[in-house]
Amino acid sequence: MLMPPFTLHNPTTVEEACSLAGILLEKGEEFDWVAGGTDLLPNYKWHLNPKPHVISLARIEGVDTLSLHEIGCMARLTDLTLENGIHPLIVEAASKVASSLVRRNATLGGNICLDTRCFWYNQGELWRRSIDWCHKADCGTGADCRVIPNQNTLCVATYQGDIAPTLMVLDAEVHLIGPNGLRTLPLAEFYQLDGMTKNVLKKGEFLLKVTLSEEGAGRVGSYQKLRVRDSWDFPEAGVAASWIPGDVNSLQIATTALESIPRCHPEEVAAVLEDGWDGMTSVKALAAGVRKSVQPVNNTSLPPRYRKSMVRVLTKRAVQKMIE
Amino acid sequence: MSEGYRQQPGGPGQKTRKDGKRVAGKQAFPPPGSGGSKPNMATRDLDFIPESVGGKEPQPAGSHIHDRVRTGTSVGREMPLVDSNAKVTGQAWYGDDVRLPNEVIGKILRSPHHYARIKSIDTSRVEALPGVLAVATGADAPHRFGVLPVTKDEHAMSVEKVRHVGDLVACVAAIDEATALEALNLFDVEWELLEPVFDPKKGLEDADEPIHWRGKYHLARTNVQKRVFQEFGDRSLVEKPHAESHGKWSMAGVHHGFTEPHAVVAHWDPNGRLQLYTPQQVPHYTHRALSTVLDVPMHQINVIRTFVGGGFGGKSDPFPHEMCAAILSRKSGRPVRITFDREEVYWINRGRHPSHIEVKMTADEDARISGFDIDALIDGGGFASFGHVTSYYNGVLATAPYELGSFHYTGARVWTNKPASGAMRGHGAVNTRCAVEVGLDEMAETMQVDPIDLRLANLLPPHSRTISGFRITSNGMREALEKVRKGSNWDEKFRKMPLGKGIGIGCGFFISGSGLPIHWDPNRFPHATVHMQVDMDGGVTVHTGAADIGQGSTTAIAQVVSEVLALPIEMIHVRCHESDTSPVDLGSYSSRVTFMNANAAIRAALEIREQLLNAAWEILGYHPNNLIMNDRRIYYKHDPAIGVSYLKALHKAQEDKGALIASGAYRSPPMGGVHKGAAAGLAPAYSFSAYVAEVDVDIETGMIKCTNVWAAHDCGKALNPLAVKGQIIGSCHMGLGQVLSEKMVYGRTGHLQNANLLDYKIPSVHEMPHVEPIIVESCDPEGPFGAKEAGEGPLLPILPAVVNAVYDAIGIRLRTLPLTPDVVFKGIEKTLKASEFDDPTDLPSPRLTFSSMQPKLVARAQEHKIRDKARQRTEDTSPYVNGVLFGFDPTIPLEDQVEGWRTATEPDPEQLAELGLAGRAWLKKEQRHMEGEN
Repeated sequence: MLMPPFTLHNPTTVEEACSLAGILLEKGEEFDWVAGGTDLLPNYKWHLNPKPHVISLARIEGVDTLSLHEIGCMARLTDLTLENGIHPLIVEAASKVASSLVRRNATLGGNICLDTRCFWYNQGELWRRSIDWCHKADCGTGADCRVIPNQNTLCVATYQGDIAPTLMVLDAEVHLIGPNGLRTLPLAEFYQLDGMTKNVLKKGEFLLKVTLSEEGAGRVGSYQKLRVRDSWDFPEAGVAASWIPGDVNSLQIATTALESIPRCHPEEVAAVLEDGWDGMTSVKALAAGVRKSVQPVNNTSLPPRYRKSMVRVLTKRAVQKMIE
Repeated sequence: MSEGYRQQPGGPGQKTRKDGKRVAGKQAFPPPGSGGSKPNMATRDLDFIPESVGGKEPQPAGSHIHDRVRTGTSVGREMPLVDSNAKVTGQAWYGDDVRLPNEVIGKILRSPHHYARIKSIDTSRVEALPGVLAVATGADAPHRFGVLPVTKDEHAMSVEKVRHVGDLVACVAAIDEATALEALNLFDVEWELLEPVFDPKKGLEDADEPIHWRGKYHLARTNVQKRVFQEFGDRSLVEKPHAESHGKWSMAGVHHGFTEPHAVVAHWDPNGRLQLYTPQQVPHYTHRALSTVLDVPMHQINVIRTFVGGGFGGKSDPFPHEMCAAILSRKSGRPVRITFDREEVYWINRGRHPSHIEVKMTADEDARISGFDIDALIDGGGFASFGHVTSYYNGVLATAPYELGSFHYTGARVWTNKPASGAMRGHGAVNTRCAVEVGLDEMAETMQVDPIDLRLANLLPPHSRTISGFRITSNGMREALEKVRKGSNWDEKFRKMPLGKGIGIGCGFFISGSGLPIHWDPNRFPHATVHMQVDMDGGVTVHTGAADIGQGSTTAIAQVVSEVLALPIEMIHVRCHESDTSPVDLGSYSSRVTFMNANAAIRAALEIREQLLNAAWEILGYHPNNLIMNDRRIYYKHDPAIGVSYLKALHKAQEDKGALIASGAYRSPPMGGVHKGAAAGLAPAYSFSAYVAEVDVDIETGMIKCTNVWAAHDCGKALNPLAVKGQIIGSCHMGLGQVLSEKMVYGRTGHLQNANLLDYKIPSVHEMPHVEPIIVESCDPEGPFGAKEAGEGPLLPILPAVVNAVYDAIGIRLRTLPLTPDVVFKGIEKTLKASEFDDPTDLPSPRLTFSSMQPKLVARAQEHKIRDKARQRTEDTSPYVNGVLFGFDPTIPLEDQVEGWRTATEPDPEQLAELGLAGRAWLKKEQRHMEGEN
């Protein structure tokens, strides 16, 4: 497997990175950001939408901060699994990502911005040629989506990151920076349909850091991951739950690996709270509600019907474990 | 007290300082072979010398013909494999490690279509690309090849049509990989698309364009490559069953998942001979196929087997890319290297066949198994590969270890437009074995007896014959079952654990070397030949073609030679990489290497031993019968002081003739029946195994976690217990993959969706249970020092053991493999719907109350145990054939005793209506019988 050639840029400051991006944008040159490379580089080896330029964040100083309230984009997942004063829910999710080898390189920024996945897309070039390409990597052919044919407007590739849902239920904020400056928004508003758009990052912007407010950091939660093997595998479904201990009204649920974006489920929580909290009965009702609200498609290892059914079990277990 | 007997007269030849340390560079050269820093003979280790020849090694299964040449040196000792240093230091040279000067890179153009005719290939744009040195297409190599002489249906590159996505179309050699990849985009191929077939059931029907055409032997216009019918015994026994089990299985195809992708380097040397480097299990077949395809005599080809990074059957076919490299190298005049991507590894495949298997079995009122009725439809993919054999193995390897009243098998292998299936660890036996063992569990459930006791009361004894005519020699099945029962604490756990926790049993039976050498008559040429040479330095060079694929065949051969000659294993050098220097060997398949090559090596070593002992006789004056060989020394058995060093005896023996040379060969004895297909499954010995698996099933998610396995395998005699345990644990891992998570997924468009190691889910270390390997030694009379295979058989029992354990845990019989969580969940949902419960955690766990049959079985098993022991130790040498349990006399042909006892290889016309899925292939006629019907 040969990676297509590209020019690698190694800025050492955030400003340099931004101006580099600005220059490339001006010239009309396409580029990707790379942090740990565990997501991007395998995709490049498969010739999945490679770009002529890659800007690495690895040499930038000061973007690997690790604290309860702030985690830099270059913080390695291995460091998130250790007792570094990180929120226990993040530790729980980070330690379930891929394998220990991958975690040593992979970063928080990369995990949040993970490319969406689909078994019609994550394949070698020759394989994709044999299906006449797909909507997400159409190689100029205008090819249709292979998951849901006869619609070439939406990409339904699945977002399979583990950490995003836990950050969402902790009310995390993301800080994005680019040639046009810094902006901050809740992570819950970061993701954007569809599987190709993925998120609100504009061209030239990258995710600088994630911050947790005092209230968010005080939350307690649990993350449940569905996967066939306890190593390597991306989640086939994931549910994160959190609350301010003792206060059911503060309950938050987020799901991942079920659709093109991870998302919170405030309506389903509200619907259950409206009827008044009643222990296990409410947990079950909530689990059923969340299950009903997700729409997985057939593009990961396990069939979508099963993944959907498991949302009920995962939600129930996440909430139960959290309340305990 | 002295340190013992010196190897060599005089001092060790070392100058030492006053403080005892050596002086660097000031050492006198010690006499070669004297033992270096160990000048004294080690004492004889009686713990590794059998009881029968005066040692202390226990022999509960009786003595062995090789006992008299045991020296206690290597056999039975746990030792690391002789090539392990090279592997752990990264110095082992695998296929892609070969680098020749001036080499260039070859790439293969593969079909993007499932099934298409190639109308034309224009290579002009490729040839015009700077950096391209050679281009080849199917037209460059029109000769067919295939691993089996009866089914040669492959070309180096497609001629006329492609048969699956990934099939080879053309190839190119260029100065570097980037240029070669670019060149692949410049081929202009004109296609005519054909209607593909993916479903093996469809393969049984007539097609407009069958994937291959076999002329007058073609079955109508179907895609059936091979059909088999076999029926033995008295079918009237199954008419009124006391208990029965009937199950239809669907098993996904699995791949070997070896670490090293295929890689090859081809180079035509200045004399015009081809040197081909390839990680092959079966270099000799590649040698033959290269000769055919390249139109070059075999003696002008040297096949060099590199280290093999795992094979498991997946590197045992001659491969088209090996031909491509040779063709490109011939055209370009440069060495050409081709290394596969993982995707290409899956496209060449040769993994286990996706199968639809139906098993019906019945038991009579005495809980004797009155009939097995097996139907196996297997999906062969685009080519024949080993499929002819697989079609038989799916049936015939189920004829033991149980005594059967009757046996009925219909099998069919069909071509589909998918990567070709082939041989994989446990070849052909694994899927049917799983179905049969689960069926037995179900019958035990109906009869309310313990499934282990049901098995123990129905086993064939040692030295018997199966219903299909296989000759069973040593048989450790009973001991294996008893040991896992005890080890797992079975009686306290079976049907007694809470919901979600379960325990299950499974057995296995496998060949130890195929009795039929594929390319020649076993009565004319040996299966294996080993050459041996001992020169003045005392080192022993052994030349063998046995392909070490990581299983440790080189170590096994070194060990047996070391044992016979009483030399430390470091003095044995096995040369096994090149066809130029190795005697012809059939290679590493059908678990034949230890049995056949070690036997050949022992014979060669015995010749050397005789020459050494005769030389010692001349020197010492004592007849060889009174001499003992032990650690580099030969001495008089009643006075060890009267002796001669190995080296001195060797030099004496070398007088007048120089280096000692010997050759040993192994040939299996004549055996088996005379019916069509009687040779399939015939082996000089068989291995037996029994596993108990314990599982946890998450009743809400369907996730299965195998926690413990007690794995007993009868390998005859563990030449190297460390290697045997490694094979058992490795087999467990591989089998667990097939039963829990591994499958080749073909999506709705027929494409292989998971041709990579992330989506093809081989269990990780987290999924690995604790495995307790238990070695059973039944001392096979014909095996080397009693040994039988341990590489494939141990895989078989893990599948049914897990499936049966899942039943014990949740009370649901699942017959779809792998048991991925969605499959289990579907089963749970279905059961829940049919039950009175809403919550799966309320489901009842299966329980067992013994019926009156149970004590009868226990009593019969007890009787049989005594019978088996006497037969194993050859205290009872009376004949025993399958059928004695049903009251027949083994000394009279069964056909003469029972009306209706039959041995049939074709169905009777009245049977045609009731054949199973694969059996329907018998409704079709061969072209030669279809005059005017076409």
